[in-house]
Amino acid sequence: MSEIVIDIAETRKKYRGGVEALRGVSLQVPGGGIFGLLGPNGAGKSTLVKILMSIVRPTQCMGSMLGLAIGHKPTLARVGYLPEHARFPEYLKGGEVIRYVAGLAGVSRSTAKQRSTELLEMVGMKDWGNHKMGTYSKGMKQRIGLAQALVNDPEIVFLDEPTDGVDPQGRLEMRNLLQTMRDQGRTVFINSHLLGELEMICDSVAIMDKGQIIRQGTIGELTEKSQRYELRTQGDISSDLLNKLTSDGVEIEGDTMSVYQADPTPMQPILDALRSEGVTIVELREVRQSLEELFMESVSGDGVGGIQKNSTPPQLPRKETV
Amino acid sequence: MRQILTILWDSYRLLAAKKLFWIVLSLSVLISMCYASVGFTPEGISVFFGAYHIESDIIVADSIFAEYLYMMIFTDYLVPWWLGMFALVLALISVCPVFPDFLKSGSIDVAVSKPVSRVTLFLVKYLGCLLFVAIQVLIFCVIVFFAQGLRVNAWNVEVFWAVPLLTFVFSLIYCVAVLTAVWTRSTLFSLLMALLMWGVTLAVQWAEMFAYAEAYTKPAVGMQMDFKTGEISYSDEPQEPDAGMVKFHNVVKAVGSPLPKTREATYLLKKKISIQGKNMTRMTEFIDMSADKYERRQAKAQEAYENRHSQVYIIGTSLAFEFCILGLACWMFTRKDF
Repeated sequence: MSEIVIDIAETRKKYRGGVEALRGVSLQVPGGGIFGLLGPNGAGKSTLVKILMSIVRPTQCMGSMLGLAIGHKPTLARVGYLPEHARFPEYLKGGEVIRYVAGLAGVSRSTAKQRSTELLEMVGMKDWGNHKMGTYSKGMKQRIGLAQALVNDPEIVFLDEPTDGVDPQGRLEMRNLLQTMRDQGRTVFINSHLLGELEMICDSVAIMDKGQIIRQGTIGELTEKSQRYELRTQGDISSDLLNKLTSDGVEIEGDTMSVYQADPTPMQPILDALRSEGVTIVELREVRQSLEELFMESVSGDGVGGIQKNSTPPQLPRKETV
Repeated sequence: MRQILTILWDSYRLLAAKKLFWIVLSLSVLISMCYASVGFTPEGISVFFGAYHIESDIIVADSIFAEYLYMMIFTDYLVPWWLGMFALVLALISVCPVFPDFLKSGSIDVAVSKPVSRVTLFLVKYLGCLLFVAIQVLIFCVIVFFAQGLRVNAWNVEVFWAVPLLTFVFSLIYCVAVLTAVWTRSTLFSLLMALLMWGVTLAVQWAEMFAYAEAYTKPAVGMQMDFKTGEISYSDEPQEPDAGMVKFHNVVKAVGSPLPKTREATYLLKKKISIQGKNMTRMTEFIDMSADKYERRQAKAQEAYENRHSQVYIIGTSLAFEFCILGLACWMFTRKDF
C-alpha cells in the first residue's frame, strides 16, 4: 500500500428533518489495498460513500480524493462504483450495461467495447453478455455490476455491500475478484456489515457507528492488543509452578493458560517448565481477536456505539494451532 | 459529447423496448396509410385506393382546392387529433415512468456518480424522452409527404414542421410530469399531474377560442345567434364587437397567458405550411372568385381568428412556462440527495 488516496475530515451530513447521518467523520484510506468500512445498518456507511461519489451533498466536508476536492466531478472518471441494490436497465444486455456506463464515464467507444469483452470474461459472464439483464439471477447482476464499476479502469473502486444477496459460491468468486483488483494495483473500498468476509480480504478497516469512525487501522494493528497464546494441559501442576506462572502474568483458568503476547518466544520457557514437571501439552494455539469481536467491542458499551453488551451474540475467536 | 450521445442512445433503446412505442407507431402508420389512400380524380375524390368515390365539381384532380383539402385533412384533423391528442396521451403514458424509474435508488446512483454534470444528465434525459414523439411524428410526416407528392403533386417539405411543433407541444406537457416525478418519484402522480395540467390548459384555450369567436368573429361576419331558440341570422353589414364578450375574452386571455398554448402551438402548423406560396391561414387568398360578400366576410373573419395570436406570443409564453417548470425540476434534481 502506498499514499493516502482518500483523506477526509470533519465530514457531516444532516438530512432534512434533523437526522444526522454523519457526525464529523475523518478517514484516511491508503492506496493499493482493500479497505473495509464496517458498521451496523444505519451507521452512515452508505451516506459516506455517496458523499464521496457526489450522490449526496455533504453538510460539511473537508478533504480530497485522489488529490482533488470531494465533489470534483472529473475525478469521478478515475473512480468506479457499485451501489447497494444496484439496478440496471432490464432492457439492456449485460455487455450493453457495461458499455452504457463506459459512455457515461467518458470512455471512448472502441475502448469500451474492448473493456466490456475483457470484463465479461473476468467476471465469468462471457457467455451471458448478450442476454438481457431481466434474465439474470441476483448473482449475475452483481457480477455485471462489478464489471461496470471497472469499465473506466478506475484507481479506486467503491463497492457498497457487494455480496448482499449473493450465494456462498458467488461470494467466494467475488472475494477472488476483489483480490484480483488489488493485485492490479487498484484501491478497493468495500462497505459491508459481513465482517467474516471482510476479515478474509481487507488490508485495513474502519469501524463506523452512529455517524462516526470509532476505530481505524490495519486488522493486525487493531487486533494486536488482544493477541495471545493459549495452552491446554493435562496432568497436575505443582503449586510452586502455578504461583510462578501467575506471577509472570500467565492467566490460568482450569486446564487452560493464556499468555498475552504477540511473540511466541516467551512461551518456550513455560513449555519447558511444564514438560519438566511431566505435564502433557494437549494444545498450543495462537489466538487473535476476530474482526467480529473487535467490531462488537467497538460498538458496544459506553462508547460511541451503545449496543448493549448482553445483546452480543456468541462468537468463536479465530484460532490458529501451532 | 460522448456522455450526451450515450444518454440519448440509451433513451432510444428504452423507448424501443416499450411495447406502447411500437403500438403507437403501428397505429400512426395505419392512419397515415389511410390518408395516403385518399386521391383525386377528374370527377372528385377517391377513398381507400379507389374503393369508394365521392363526386365533386370543385375538388377535383390538379385543383388548388384538392390540394388545400388534402393538406387541411393533415393540419386540421390528423395533426391536432391523432398526433396532437391521442398519440400524445399514449406517448405520455409510455414515457411517464422514465424519470421515476431513473430516480430509483440503485439506478440513479450509477448515473450521478459519473463525471457528467447533473444539469446535463437531467436535460439530456428529458430530451431523450421527447424522442418518443419526435420519431413517431417524423415517420408519420414521411408517409404524409410522399402521399401529398404522389396524390396532389405537392412535394411540400413544410409538413415536417409538424415534427418540432408536436415535439414542443409534448415537451410542454411532459415537463409537468418530470417536475412531479422529481418531486415525488411517483409515476402515477406525475401522469395525473401532467394530464391535469393539460386539461386545464385545453379548457382555458377552448374558452378563449369560444370567447374570441363570440366577441369578434361572429360580429365581423354579421352573424347573430339567438341562444334561446338557436336561430342564426345574418345582417347585411359587420357588427361591432360585443362589449361583454370582449371583456370576458380579455379575462380568459389574461388567465391563459402564463399557461402553455398546446392547442394553438399545434395549429401553428397551418401558418408554417403554404399551398402554392400561400399561407394556409390566409383564407381570403383561397376563396373562390365567385364567392359572395358573406363568404368573403366570413373568410376575412376566419383569417383574423386564425391569426389572432402571434407566433411569438404562442411560442414565447409556452417557452416561458416550460422554462419555469423545467428550471424548477432541474434545480430540484441538482440539489437532491439520492
